[in-house]
Amino acid sequence: MPKSTTLAMILAGSRVDNLNVLTYYRPKSAVPFGGFARVIDFALSNLLHSGIEQVAILSQYRSYSLINHIGTGAAWDMIGRNRGVSILPPFKDNSDNKCHADWYRGSADAVYKNLDFVQYHDPEQILILSGDHIYKMDYQDMIAYHHKKDADLTIAFVQVDKSKAHRFGIAAIDSNEDGETGGRLLNYWEKPESPEADWASLTVLVFKPEVLYRALQENQESSSFEFGRDIIPLLMAQGRKVYGYKYTGYWGYTGTTEEYWQASMDLLGENPPIDMEAWGLRTNMEHRGIRDAQPALIRDGAIVHNSLVYNGCIVEGTVKNSILFPGVHVEKGAVVEDSVLFFNNHIGADCKLSRVIMDVNSVIGQGVRIGPEATSKAKVVTLIGWNNHIPDKMCIGEGAKIYPNISSEQWSKVKCVEAEEVLR
Amino acid sequence: MSVKQEALVLLLAGGVGSRLNILVQSRAKPAVPFAGHYRIIDFSLSNVMTSGLTKIGVLTQYKPLSLMRHLGMGEAWDFTGRSRGLKILPPHTGFKDSDWYKGTADAVRQNIDFLEKNPADEVLLLSGDHIYNMDFHAMIEYHRFKKADVTIGMMVVPMSEIYQFGAGVTDDNNRIIDWEEKPEHPKTNLASMGIYVFDYKYLLDSLYRDKAEVDFGMHILPRAIDNDNVFAYPFYGYWRDVGTIQSYWEANMDVIMRDSAISPAAWGIRTNIEADGRPADRPPARFSNSARVSCSMISAGCVIRGTVINSVLAPGVVVEEGAVVRDSILFADCTVGKKSTVDLTICDKRVKISGDTIVGSGMNHDFPNIKQPKHLYTGITLVGKEASIPSGITIGRNCIVNSKTEESAFSTGEVADGETV
Repeated sequence: MPKSTTLAMILAGSRVDNLNVLTYYRPKSAVPFGGFARVIDFALSNLLHSGIEQVAILSQYRSYSLINHIGTGAAWDMIGRNRGVSILPPFKDNSDNKCHADWYRGSADAVYKNLDFVQYHDPEQILILSGDHIYKMDYQDMIAYHHKKDADLTIAFVQVDKSKAHRFGIAAIDSNEDGETGGRLLNYWEKPESPEADWASLTVLVFKPEVLYRALQENQESSSFEFGRDIIPLLMAQGRKVYGYKYTGYWGYTGTTEEYWQASMDLLGENPPIDMEAWGLRTNMEHRGIRDAQPALIRDGAIVHNSLVYNGCIVEGTVKNSILFPGVHVEKGAVVEDSVLFFNNHIGADCKLSRVIMDVNSVIGQGVRIGPEATSKAKVVTLIGWNNHIPDKMCIGEGAKIYPNISSEQWSKVKCVEAEEVLR
Repeated sequence: MSVKQEALVLLLAGGVGSRLNILVQSRAKPAVPFAGHYRIIDFSLSNVMTSGLTKIGVLTQYKPLSLMRHLGMGEAWDFTGRSRGLKILPPHTGFKDSDWYKGTADAVRQNIDFLEKNPADEVLLLSGDHIYNMDFHAMIEYHRFKKADVTIGMMVVPMSEIYQFGAGVTDDNNRIIDWEEKPEHPKTNLASMGIYVFDYKYLLDSLYRDKAEVDFGMHILPRAIDNDNVFAYPFYGYWRDVGTIQSYWEANMDVIMRDSAISPAAWGIRTNIEADGRPADRPPARFSNSARVSCSMISAGCVIRGTVINSVLAPGVVVEEGAVVRDSILFADCTVGKKSTVDLTICDKRVKISGDTIVGSGMNHDFPNIKQPKHLYTGITLVGKEASIPSGITIGRNCIVNSKTEESAFSTGEVADGETV
């Protein structure tokens, strides 16, 4: 009987304060990306193309959007006799085990709480992934390296600018061993203040199962339960065979609003760093009914330059360097530049939007101005939370954050939202 | 135990639609693509779905593969579930006299098992050939209110077009008192849309009565009108029989018109997005800095670097820099090379047009196609599936480039108006 040898577990539970408006009602992995997809689709599509067919998703924060998105898993061919995707939410039971009396206390705790699920599948290796990153990787190559080295743990790393290294798990990799492919981890620092190396963890980890089981068990004595902060240092301290696997492709880290915006801009241009078609990206076409959206209508007088426009859009105005998700309507005279507009936003006539990330379902009145003035040097991204009805002629300065569901009463009291102001 | 349905739907999707020429060379008319990513049959199927009807048999005959692939299990139209279903009913052997359908009534008669296994109050008979939006639930209510044996969806058409249809004369009560099938000298301009509600038992009785009655329009309806209660259900909305190249082109252009009467989105039309053999989903359409697009429909997966005016582009069409596509309909995955022009042309799937070529050139719109003067006479040029057109070619009006034509077939640099390659 054919049997899956790899069990993948996607860490998809987190929300990120820096993306606060966008992750108010959904985990970061379910944030829309690329004009029709979600961030987690990159990890799921990588799994599909790597032929890994047993997948579990650990979800905790506001998981409805994510559960809805995963659906049956059919979008990624994850249904069948030996294929499947399971969503593992936190749970409580009646035992005295205090471990089961709480929410997931961290990524490692989330896996620990589901060890019975993991052991039931009895995998040859366990692949732990973050659902928050944008990249294209064949996990089988990494698993092959893991086996070649008979490693206890193999972690994927990508080279980053040293000035940014303090935000990541950073490793020094023995480059004598396998050069470009990878090597034994000489050292590992979780978010070091003054980094001594520049290889950052992609949060792609391949474990030998018994090593993982034991490490998770030992970690339960601790007060912190994270793979990066606790499990990797624990195995390093024990002198386990921990290897680094060097990834050299594109890596989009969407931890902050600016990073999310930059990764989105990386979809544009003649030879975009992120090529969704070439990467084989799949999404759940049932989610939000995007499969039923009619092809985009570009009306008389419209201008669309260097942009992505999905089915369901109607463009009567000008769209430049922007990404329009299904159901965005840009009325006549409106100008949308350097912006990302999520599903079903209506942009009124003569609006001017620049560097805006707008969550779903907002109606922007006529002549509204959002974003930096032409003279601005900083050009900070402005965030609009979902379900807002922004009155005609409103002015919203750059870097402002508009929370979801601002009532019309509250809007009626606002004359102008200043730059960097937070409207909640 | 079976759950009795309100109304059982039978969709006749065997239509050849031969006037659509090379567009129906490898597929039945209902499977012809329309308005970007739809197919003609999507309109009938979506109308059935939005009318709340859940059990449907689709009768196929002519080149059914493309259609069957498109229908799948009917998931796209929400026909899957315990008491729902879409069943494909192909012609089958086992009948003494003939296996192929001899007419619409014969087709239904050969599937009488399906009718008997799915008891209902009424049977709704449709074709999959038309672009329209209609509430069948309202029609069935009307049928019941009139206590009719048969109710026929009918609409007023210009007198000059009535010769293509079944025509009915009604009394003040909308009861049909006279019937003419494709009349040369019509008495009325009220045309049948090919949409019938039959009382279930009445339909079975009619089919059992005489096997020689093989067609609804020719045999079953005239007899019913003479002897029983047949009513017209008047329809006033948008309805097109896109059976000719000209009407097919016009209906596509209707979709991109501002304030047009036809809106797949507003009508809730669904389709089954093709995913066969594609590792990726089609990403959003990509517009480059040199793109100029106006009055057009652009589907997912298109890449636009050139100019597109008044055109309908199906998924995955690539228009290179300097190219111009005007008043045209391009099916999925066509490519138009640099500085080429495509004017008043319909290209079937995966047509490759190299750079510096003109498809649809000159002003001789009235010079009909020499081989098929009744199909192409308004200036539209047709390019068949997977044809490749080399660079430096000029193709005129009302031309046909057959499917899979290779570049070597273009020996001279010109294809004159009305020619066929």
